Order: sequence, then C-alpha cells, then structure tokens
Amino acid sequence: MSIRLKSTVSCYAIVLPSLVLLTIFVYFPVFWAFFNSLFEFEIGAASRFVGLANYSEYLTQDPTTLLSLTNMLVLTLLAVTMRLTFPLVVARLIYALPQERWRYIYRIVFLVPIVVPGVAVQLIWAGMIYSDFGLLNELLRGLGLSHWARGWLADPQTALVSIALVGFPFVGGFEVLIYYAGFSAIPESVNEAAALDGCTGLQKFFRIDIPMVLSQLKLILILTLIAGVQGFENIFILTRGGPGFETTVPGLWMYFNAFSFQRMGYACAIGVLLFVIIFGLTLLNMKYFKSSEELQGVR
Amino acid sequence: MRDKKVWLIHAVLILFSLLTLLPFGFMVNNVFRSNAEFYHAFFSFPAAFEQALSIAGGSLVGDETPVAMADEEGAIRQMGRGRAMRLSLNRATRGPRLAWKVIRPYMLNTLIVASLTVIGVVLLGSATAYILARYQFAGHRPLFLFIISTMMFPGVLTLVPSFLLVKSLGLLNTYWAMVLPYIAGGQVFAIFVFKSYFEGLPEELFESARIDGAGHLQIYWQIVLPLSRSILSVVAIMNILGTWNNFLWPFITNTEGTHHVVSSGLFVLATTAHASNFSTLYAAYAISSIPLLVLFIYATRPFIRGVTSGAFKA
Repeated sequence: MSIRLKSTVSCYAIVLPSLVLLTIFVYFPVFWAFFNSLFEFEIGAASRFVGLANYSEYLTQDPTTLLSLTNMLVLTLLAVTMRLTFPLVVARLIYALPQERWRYIYRIVFLVPIVVPGVAVQLIWAGMIYSDFGLLNELLRGLGLSHWARGWLADPQTALVSIALVGFPFVGGFEVLIYYAGFSAIPESVNEAAALDGCTGLQKFFRIDIPMVLSQLKLILILTLIAGVQGFENIFILTRGGPGFETTVPGLWMYFNAFSFQRMGYACAIGVLLFVIIFGLTLLNMKYFKSSEELQGVR
Repeated sequence: MRDKKVWLIHAVLILFSLLTLLPFGFMVNNVFRSNAEFYHAFFSFPAAFEQALSIAGGSLVGDETPVAMADEEGAIRQMGRGRAMRLSLNRATRGPRLAWKVIRPYMLNTLIVASLTVIGVVLLGSATAYILARYQFAGHRPLFLFIISTMMFPGVLTLVPSFLLVKSLGLLNTYWAMVLPYIAGGQVFAIFVFKSYFEGLPEELFESARIDGAGHLQIYWQIVLPLSRSILSVVAIMNILGTWNNFLWPFITNTEGTHHVVSSGLFVLATTAHASNFSTLYAAYAISSIPLLVLFIYATRPFIRGVTSGAFKA
C-alpha cells in the first residue's frame, strides 16, 4: 500500500465517528421528514401513502393555518423591531463611555442573565404577568388602575402581544456584544472625519454609526427571522397556543399534531413547509452577505 | 458639558440594567417568601429575613430579652433569641431546601448529559477539524461540504423524525437520546470554528513532528490540543450553554420522566403540584442558574468570546 493511500485511509478513519453521527442523527431525520410527510402515519398503526395530501390539507383545510401564520408574522416582526433597536441603542451608549472599565462592566451586566435557563426566564415572566399576584397587575392595582389588571396571557385580546413583550426591555447580552463589536471596529479616522465635518449626535448615529454596523444588523435580522419562523418553545411554555388558537404558530401546531394527536406524517409536512420558508430566508441572507462583502471591496 | 453627557449616558444605562435585571430580582426575592406574603404583602422583602435581621441587630447591642414568635406548631410563644433566630432562618430557607430536593436529580442528569456532550463535541469536532485543516486527500472538499451543509437544516424540520428515530432505536428515556443527537449536531459548529483556528497554526510544527515520525493521532494529541486550549474552552462553554438551555428535546424524549434535565424538569415542576408553593418554584429557578453563574464568573472572557463567536453560526 502506498504511503499516500495509507494516509488517506487513516484520515477517513479519524473523521469516521463524526460522519456516522451526522448521517444517523442529522441526514437520516432530514430524509425521513420529507419521506414521512407523504404518508398518513400514526405511531403503532400501519402507514399509508397519501402523496401530497398532508400539504394540501394544511394549506387549504386546516382551520389554524391562516391564524397561526399571521401570529408568526406578527411575533416575528415585533421581535425584529425590538432586537434591531433596543440593544443597538444600549451598545452605542456603552461604546460612547470614555472609560474602558465601565464599558466592560455594562457589557457584563447585560450578559449575566444568560446564566438563567431560558425555561426559567419564561416561567418567571409568566409569574410576573399572571392574573393574580403577578407583579404587573399588583403594580396596576397599587396605582389605582385595577380596571387595567387582567390575565394578560389568558385574555384573547392581549395574549399575543404579551408573548411578544416578554423580555422587556429586550436588551439581550448577545445582541449588545455583537453590536458593540461592530461599533468598536469603526476606524478612528472615520470618527475624526465626522467630527471635523461637524457631524455629531443623532446625525452621526444615523449617517455613520448605523451604516458601519450594517453587517451586524443583518446578522441579528436573519437570526431573529429564522428563530421567529421555527421557534415556539416560549409559546408552549407561556400559553400552549391558547386561549383558543389566539397564540398558536405553525411550529407549535406541528408539535401538537406529532405529540398530542399522533399525526406524524402531517407534522412532518408542516416541518417541511417551515423549512422551505427558512431556506428561502437563508438564500436571501447569502445574497445579502455577498453584497455586503462587495461593499467592503469598494471601501 | 462633556461630564454632563457621560452622566446622562450612565443614567440611561443604569435604567436599562435595572429593567433587565428586574425579573431576576423578583426571582431572588421570592425565593425566601412564603405564600402568605404573596397574598398579603406583595411588594415586600422576605419577612423571615427581616425578623432574623432584627433579632441579630438586637443581640448585637446586647439585648437579651426573649422574643414572641410562632413556633414549629404555629403557636405564638416567648422564646430565647437563639431559638428565634434559628426558626426564622429555617423559615426563610424552606423554599430552597424543598426545591433542592426536587431538582437535585435534574441537576445531576444535566451534569451527566452536558459533560458527555461537551467531551464528545470537543473530541470529535477537534479531531475532524484537524484532519480537514491540515491534510489534503481524495474527497476532502465533498467531505467538508457534507459536514457544513447540515447547518442549513433547522431544528423544526428534524424534530419529529428525530423523535421517531430515537424511539425506534429504543433510546427514549435514556441519556443517549440526548447525548448522541447533541454531539451529532453540536460538532458541526465546533468543526467550523476549530478548522479555521487549526489552519492558522504554523506548518513547521507539523513538519518537524512528522519528521520525528509522529502519526496523525500523536500530532493531534501532543501538539494541536495543547496549543488550542483557549479556543477549546470557548467552544466548550458555548456547547454547555446550549445543552443547559435545551428544553424541548429532553421534554419530548423523556416520555416517562425518568431522565429529566433542569430545563425540562423546571417546566414539569411549574406545571405540577409544587407550583402552588411560590418559594419552592422560584428557588428552583435560582438554583438552576448557579452552575452557569459559576462558570461565567470563572471564565468570563472565553464566555464573552464564545457568545460573540456564535455569530459564525449564521
């Protein structure tokens, strides 16, 4: 055996465990998702090939589809709005501080909440906006506004918005760090040129700072969009999609079809449809990133 | 003028900090409060603490008169200051003690799952990344594409079929139902980060090792790993953070509730009988945050680097 071939074989031997795990636990489920979506398939019962019937049922007959897609859109747009503004402003303010020590301290302060498990954060918020003995309602009662107090997550009129507003004031440590890194990378010459031209304050923020962190904004945008399309854990924890279907999103409906109604094939079809949306977003994102690279070439 | 501006920035940032930390302040405060305090004095500090503080304060200035307090049976009696102190501290820590009893097995399960996962991810990820970064061989490029392409499949696509797979492998209600998929998925990000780091290591190191007759594994173990400690810890921390926060998968694969981790366990706790005891609930949330808080304090800088490097994922 030649040395070259021997070397190739041992290279493959070392990467083999990685490949085996990826094949079994990633590629196979991906294939199975598409495959199952063509079947009427319940655990313990014989499965039956139905072609695209699962897809057409979800898109044309399922009573939750329109409402849940609307909910997904509303929640995603609200999340995008929050994550592109609040952490950006906070990161810019931190960056504006003259002392490195304080800049470090504030970054730490906003990052610390990451140590609390996400489930606990949602449950704490559920406790804060709960109808009785919740922080928000007790506060309203204390201020003499008891007619405003309500079960924020139980009231059909407020449930969806309440889910979106959990996490106020939306200053996530992750976003702050990303934006802050962006601001730190602005060359000193740019800041000096701006100062010479008398470009300060809000004008500088909109004309110089924001364009300079555009790639960071795009990153958070795409991450938030993808999370908005596929995420439903927070809704599962807070309302389970209720009251009625007021806060149901497609991902949650997929979960219930699979694990409550045992309709595995139908759930897989919903999963595939969500994948198509996310894939479209990813392609858009790749196009965008390419254009931002070109932009850097111009600079 | 400039000073004034800095103070204004501080004021705004402090306001945002307080609002951000408010839920966690609410959590910590509730750890030590009884349900009765919830019902009758919602905005208050833990009464048992106040009591303990006033007893301790009195004792400090030499006051030795007995105090009137409810004893174990709930009857108000005069008692010595030592006993009163013990009783009030006992009352304050009732929630945490109960909570610890409930979530101790969850903590242990999380520790086992997170450790096995992080070891697997770091070992497999770094070995594969090392081969991809330092060797050219037939099929190199397709191999890398095969690995990196998995990043485009979102969790929502594979959730249901992964469950069916784990079920048909007979892994439901075991650690492996969590560990194996976590390693499979987590290694991709690790490979991505390690590969670009290993590519930056100087070639002379590898050449001289090869001349000395060292094989792949020897070079990997004796040269690459020791040189990459900082990047290893970054990836390890990100991975632990991910495992600790994953809720849905452990919740789904523990159909019999035997192997719950902290995240899924907290949800179960909050939706069962324990939920009627607020302090137990909030104590459970607080206790479940301690391990990561320790990690954060112990390794702040790799932690920050790790969170920022999460940007690679997109």
